[in-house]
Amino acid sequence: MSTRPYHAAIFGATSAICIETLRAMAREKTTKLLLIGRHPGRLESVANDLRSRGAECTTLVADFLDPKTNWLQILTDNAQSDPWDLLLIAHGSLPDQDTTLRDPESLAAELHINFTSPAVIAAACAQILVKQNHGTLAVFGSVAGDRGRGSNFIYGSAKAGIDTFLAGMRHQFSQHRKIKIVTLKPGMTDTPMTSHLPKGPLFSSAEAVGTQSWRAIQSAPPVAYLPGWWKFIMTLIRILPSSLLHRTKL
Amino acid sequence: MTATKIFHSWGKLRPATAKLLAPAWIPNDLPGTGPFLAYGLGRSYGDSCLLDGGTMIETRFLDRIQHFDPQTGILRAESGITLAAILRFCVPKGWFLPTTPGTSQITLGGAIANDVHGKNHHSAGCFGNHVRMLDLLRSDGSRHTLRPGDPMLAATIGGLGLTGLITSAEIQLVPIRSAHLDVELTRFCGLDEFMEISASSSETWEHTVAWIDCVASGNSLGRGIFIRGKWSDRGDLSTHRTARLTAPFEMPGFTLNRFTVQAFNTLYYRRFLGKTKTLHQHYAPFFYPLDGVNEWNRIYGKPGFYQYQCVTPTAAGTEPMKQILTKIAASGQASFLAVLKTFGDVPSPGMLSFPQPGITLALDFPQRDPATRDLFLQLDEIVRACHGRLYPAKDARMNARDFSQTYPQLESFKSFLDTKFSSDFWKRMTSATTPS
Repeated sequence: MSTRPYHAAIFGATSAICIETLRAMAREKTTKLLLIGRHPGRLESVANDLRSRGAECTTLVADFLDPKTNWLQILTDNAQSDPWDLLLIAHGSLPDQDTTLRDPESLAAELHINFTSPAVIAAACAQILVKQNHGTLAVFGSVAGDRGRGSNFIYGSAKAGIDTFLAGMRHQFSQHRKIKIVTLKPGMTDTPMTSHLPKGPLFSSAEAVGTQSWRAIQSAPPVAYLPGWWKFIMTLIRILPSSLLHRTKL
Repeated sequence: MTATKIFHSWGKLRPATAKLLAPAWIPNDLPGTGPFLAYGLGRSYGDSCLLDGGTMIETRFLDRIQHFDPQTGILRAESGITLAAILRFCVPKGWFLPTTPGTSQITLGGAIANDVHGKNHHSAGCFGNHVRMLDLLRSDGSRHTLRPGDPMLAATIGGLGLTGLITSAEIQLVPIRSAHLDVELTRFCGLDEFMEISASSSETWEHTVAWIDCVASGNSLGRGIFIRGKWSDRGDLSTHRTARLTAPFEMPGFTLNRFTVQAFNTLYYRRFLGKTKTLHQHYAPFFYPLDGVNEWNRIYGKPGFYQYQCVTPTAAGTEPMKQILTKIAASGQASFLAVLKTFGDVPSPGMLSFPQPGITLALDFPQRDPATRDLFLQLDEIVRACHGRLYPAKDARMNARDFSQTYPQLESFKSFLDTKFSSDFWKRMTSATTPS
């Protein structure tokens, strides 16, 4: 066993579930993290929190919607001296469905931030992992991607796209035994993104979901529901006939 | 997106409907016209954490550690971090909170705004005594970094969130060698014996508190168990677990009555044989016995409950507290969980800090108005006569005149108010028409 620190790059490191995932990681391992995000101040406050918890952190400001940013070069350069153990994609946005549907520009932007951008990054990351022949690519999907529902299908369809994209990559790279591709599917989680929603018993804390994300990253199943019981709920919702689903407000 | 939300305090007496702000990051300014009030985890019992019709700022997502020095134990963090999260972070490193109330489910900002106290008040003073620095965001967009000696810090410690939004704070932790305490339980009967044990413990025991049976009368009046503890040299630096149990629903009102409470209290009092018992106890059951059950306030059912916490000053002797205990026992209204503690003479740092040298009693009462409020009016008279006072963080019904007369620095405090901050408690204390 080498004592090399666990080396990870995180896209969208400022999301609440992601912060808790990294805290759980820092509790258990010596880590060397590259935090990538849009807001320098926010990245720095997350980095300071993780540094206090023993992680070694550097930050990189990058706009994921801008294809000309330099994250790919930095990731590739880094991999040569110190291969990546984990590339984690966590950015996303939960839009207000009704207003977004009426505004084509913001609809396109939401689909871009929730599907196009993570898909582009995932494809590039997979190449890096193939080259090193080592490492895990983990991407946050959502249970919302398991079935189109009237209340949440902009976010849901983009997450469904990511789910399918990753499933395809898993197939493509199935010969590369040392590379794992994981779809993390949190259920409803109590975060700033959902603070305006009334909280029912199905909500989990970001801390619980983050801790389970870290477990899933380590065991690396193809798809991990967080918490696991969402798998049963979503199976039921998937097989629910449309005639019944359409009578609900889900 | 502006949403409204229904907020509860811990006593669940009167919910407040307010606009919700739930910042994920320390804000640069406060949007909207207010009035504003910060809301942490809603563990204040009455209405000091509520602002009906206003804008409530949920701080619980501001939970990042900004800096920690493992050599000195100085911790700087955002104000929404919970004491539980601080402990999970610092205990394995051999540090503990300088003082802690009976729950870890409160935020750092809430601990400061209510200047909470704990079992080591006689040696450590209040939580605010250990605040080295805090950042305050005012509604005019100004930011203030406050340090001891700054009068605005003295207004903000114990200031019930009315001087602005506390965004981060720096506190001094204390070193521990083990996460466990050496604990001694001693039965006592009556307030005089409590005072004797308390006096003989204050030098040698860092943590002291007593549980008292407020239902027993006659020969058993004032019976209780004195609990004292000191940090142990034995044991590991393990942290607490998260609660696994949750009170499933609001219990029906009849669950708690004179007889069930009496039975519980008798069992509790008789939980060990002999006069004393020693224990080696983890900090979680010692400091936070109720944190093991989420939402335990549901046992009081839909009507909610009050907590009455008063202090009677040392100068008044034990007579007023004896009268209070006698009145409560005679009323038969008390619940279990009565806590008795002597405050030491470490000066409280805040203008509106509650603790003063004397005896403090904290006790839950299921809401059975008007009987409950009538009893409180009688207790108020005793507290008033001995120049004691009530704790705003627990209060839902205090008389505004009592508040202004028993908090002598209230007028100085008012000059530091943020005019766009308010609370239901503050409105109650400052509205023109108050019954005497």
